[in-house]
Amino acid sequence: MNNNVYLPFKSKILDIKPHTDIDYTFRMEFEGDVKPGQFFEISIPKYGEAPISVSEIGENYVDLTIRKVGKVTDVIHTFFPGQNLFMRGPYGNGFDVDLFKEKELIVAAGGTGLAPVKAVVDYFVDNKDEVKDITVVCGFKSPSDILFRDDFKKWKDEIKTILTVDNGEEGYTGNVGLITEYIKNIKIENIEEANVIVVGPPMMLKFTLQELLNRGIKEENIWVSYERKMCCGIGKCGHCKINDTYVCLDGPVFNYTKAMKLID
Amino acid sequence: MDINTKKLKKNAFRVTKERGKTAIRVRVPGGHIEAKHLLILKNIAEKYGNGTLHITTRQGFEIPGISMEYIDDVNKEIQPVIEGLNINQVDPNTGYPASGTRNVAACVGNNVCPFGNYNTTDFAKRIEDAIFPNDYHVKIALTGCPNDCIKSRMHDFGIIGMTEPQYDPYRCIACEACVDNCRDRIVGALSIENNKVVRNEDKCIGCGECILKCPMSAWTRSEEKYYKLVIMGRTGKKNPRLAREFITWVDEESIIKIILNTYRYVDKYIDKDAPGGKEHVGYIVDRTGFQEFKKWVLKDVELGPKAIVEENIYWY
Amino acid sequence: MGISLSNKEFNNILDELKKEYKIYAPKLFKGKGRFSDTDLVRYDEISSIEEIEFGKKSYYSPKEVLLPITQTLFYFTEDKVIEPEIDHKKTLVFLRSCDIHAVKRLDEIYLENGVEDPYYKRRREKMKFILMECEKSFENCFCASMGTNETDDYSLFVKSEGDRVFLDIKDKEFSSYFDTGVETEVFPNFVKENKIEVNIPENLDIDIFKSLMWKEYTSRCIGCGRCNTVCGTCSCFSMQDIFYKDNERTGERRRVWASCQIDGYSEVAGGFDFRSDQGDRMRFKVMHKIYDFNKRFGYQMCVGCGRCDDACPEYISFSNCVNKLNEKVKEGK
Repeated sequence: MNNNVYLPFKSKILDIKPHTDIDYTFRMEFEGDVKPGQFFEISIPKYGEAPISVSEIGENYVDLTIRKVGKVTDVIHTFFPGQNLFMRGPYGNGFDVDLFKEKELIVAAGGTGLAPVKAVVDYFVDNKDEVKDITVVCGFKSPSDILFRDDFKKWKDEIKTILTVDNGEEGYTGNVGLITEYIKNIKIENIEEANVIVVGPPMMLKFTLQELLNRGIKEENIWVSYERKMCCGIGKCGHCKINDTYVCLDGPVFNYTKAMKLID
Repeated sequence: MDINTKKLKKNAFRVTKERGKTAIRVRVPGGHIEAKHLLILKNIAEKYGNGTLHITTRQGFEIPGISMEYIDDVNKEIQPVIEGLNINQVDPNTGYPASGTRNVAACVGNNVCPFGNYNTTDFAKRIEDAIFPNDYHVKIALTGCPNDCIKSRMHDFGIIGMTEPQYDPYRCIACEACVDNCRDRIVGALSIENNKVVRNEDKCIGCGECILKCPMSAWTRSEEKYYKLVIMGRTGKKNPRLAREFITWVDEESIIKIILNTYRYVDKYIDKDAPGGKEHVGYIVDRTGFQEFKKWVLKDVELGPKAIVEENIYWY
Repeated sequence: MGISLSNKEFNNILDELKKEYKIYAPKLFKGKGRFSDTDLVRYDEISSIEEIEFGKKSYYSPKEVLLPITQTLFYFTEDKVIEPEIDHKKTLVFLRSCDIHAVKRLDEIYLENGVEDPYYKRRREKMKFILMECEKSFENCFCASMGTNETDDYSLFVKSEGDRVFLDIKDKEFSSYFDTGVETEVFPNFVKENKIEVNIPENLDIDIFKSLMWKEYTSRCIGCGRCNTVCGTCSCFSMQDIFYKDNERTGERRRVWASCQIDGYSEVAGGFDFRSDQGDRMRFKVMHKIYDFNKRFGYQMCVGCGRCDDACPEYISFSNCVNKLNEKVKEGK
């Protein structure tokens, strides 16, 4: 039965790029429509499934940045290019890049939170004329936690990029400090219209949102992406539900006016 | 006053520290009694005794302060209680025919307690019916589950309720409530394998708590009721000790047969020269050795396929 | 219009029906209750009217007929996934009005919310209802408050009285089976009111999520999940992968029922739990049943069967919680 939404398809690992000891990006063979911010259920039979958002979208591939944090992801990390993983998806609404066109856009990401929003940045790096201005501000715990180093290098030449770490290390010469500090000083020409995407762990999200609202960014111009327990990805299993919202169907990308009312 | 104290004691009265006064001991097998009987006890206490009742450690009542001259009257008045509790009697209106074999005690069991794995009172009454009256000093207690609230391990025979948990993997949702509880509070007999629960049969003590915890009825009780029979525990001045496992996963019929066989064994081996002719069964087993006891008590007993009999028992 | 038959005649017809249908009904399982020497009423296949427990509310709802507790989604070998064989037999379920209403809620999730669930759909399409009547309201029921006390969504109505069976045939498909019997008027009796009345506050909003009233359940609830497992409308599941011991490279992916009250329900990889407090979990469940679902789908999820109250070992009452909520809203929180 081919309309069985639970049956995963096989996808070949084209490439694996390690960022840190526990964060690898897997380039997976995939053809089809995918939007930044959408996610796949990726699985290895006998270990289970895990929802992973796309970090890059290409002609015939998607990148999935996977942190080693559990049974499934631990095993995925033992795989090599040429081997297959099972996938279902893409699921979720994803980011609508059209909404950000012609306006200023700030992308604020904390740690692995950069992964789901990275494809948005990629899009505007490639189509700079479509956006008035784009700033990426991204914070990691320490220099050794930094992901997507190559992309940062590329972005630095193209767009305003702020990379910071909470705690520096010996030999590290970059920015140190929480991203809220940097958000304070980002130049915004039209505060009424500027869009902001914020993705990161709960605490980072809380303080970053506070800072953005302080600066006068309008609630309806803020976008977040939520990580929840998306088991089925198709609105059935219930685990990702918050209020009357199914994160897998209605999210994971939410406008802040909606997200602010979601109480776990 | 001329009183045959031997006869008096056998009649479930006792010699008290106050000269001329006695006390009657009322046996309540299984420790459960219809409230109406208490009125009779009340009347006896107020009419013949000193107006008080003592609740004994063996779940009976002792009515003290009775003048020895009223023994016959008390025996007549207590008759409805003896009948109401179905105590075996030789002649009506003569009171209790023996006192050596003590009241068979039981925790409240599954009449009330969620942990109870069987009706302790009913089983206690069956045992009482099988062994009473008898002069040999044997103490038996029944408890609904391995919590052993009745302290059956301080008795010659302790009967501990067990159930063999039946697992239906289809109904299990792997919430692990049973696994956590068994690990934290019991013996850690359960573990999760492939998202379903595995029970280590060697470790499982049949307490049934997995069944209590399961929100899915994936665990249910076995149709058969099982027991752990522990033996020869005792208090007292000479070498007190806790009872040890004799047979695990044993059935009700076998237990009754084993207890009856024990009386034959006592009959054969009791020290006739013992002080007052009294020797508690545990000391007899000490003399004959466990193997001789075992040979006698397992005679004609057909244990079920699950029963595990200890090869030897070392009390300490 | 209806007919009456002897039990024997009815059982013969059940035998005929069993050629095409699996027939499920609440059944009394002796000694299978939680506590020793107690019984359990739950759904199972039956083949005679005598096996059906008409007099008691089933402890578990009929949802297990439709939604297997453990369901294999597919088998896998190292690089292939294979769907399990499909059972083509149709099903007939004996159930009460509230439980028929509960199936509509399951339909909403499994057939409507997002794409259709193929496993559910296959079973649901082949299922027909036989209505059991409630002569009187059971303990903890509040169906009248939820408007689920009556239904006309059934194929047959069956009532057992001593050695006779009375039935009303609504679905013509079954007419041919029942060509014997004495014609007589047969109507189901529906409960009109319950001892428990539940008032769902009308002008609820998410402010109530922050109410302190939920804190009460932080200490009272033990998170055992029985309220979910007995509920006819709880539809959540978790995915499980298992491998076969004798060949570890093959196995299956399953889904099993899940409970929002049990640890792990909202825990993401890495260990962060978005809802770890039992008070919050209670709030999540209650609001789902009487607010969130309604907001999304236009009618209340809870059908008032009261099984959650029947099953709670801590004597937490869902109906009382909703009524307390109503009081809070009335006094302005």
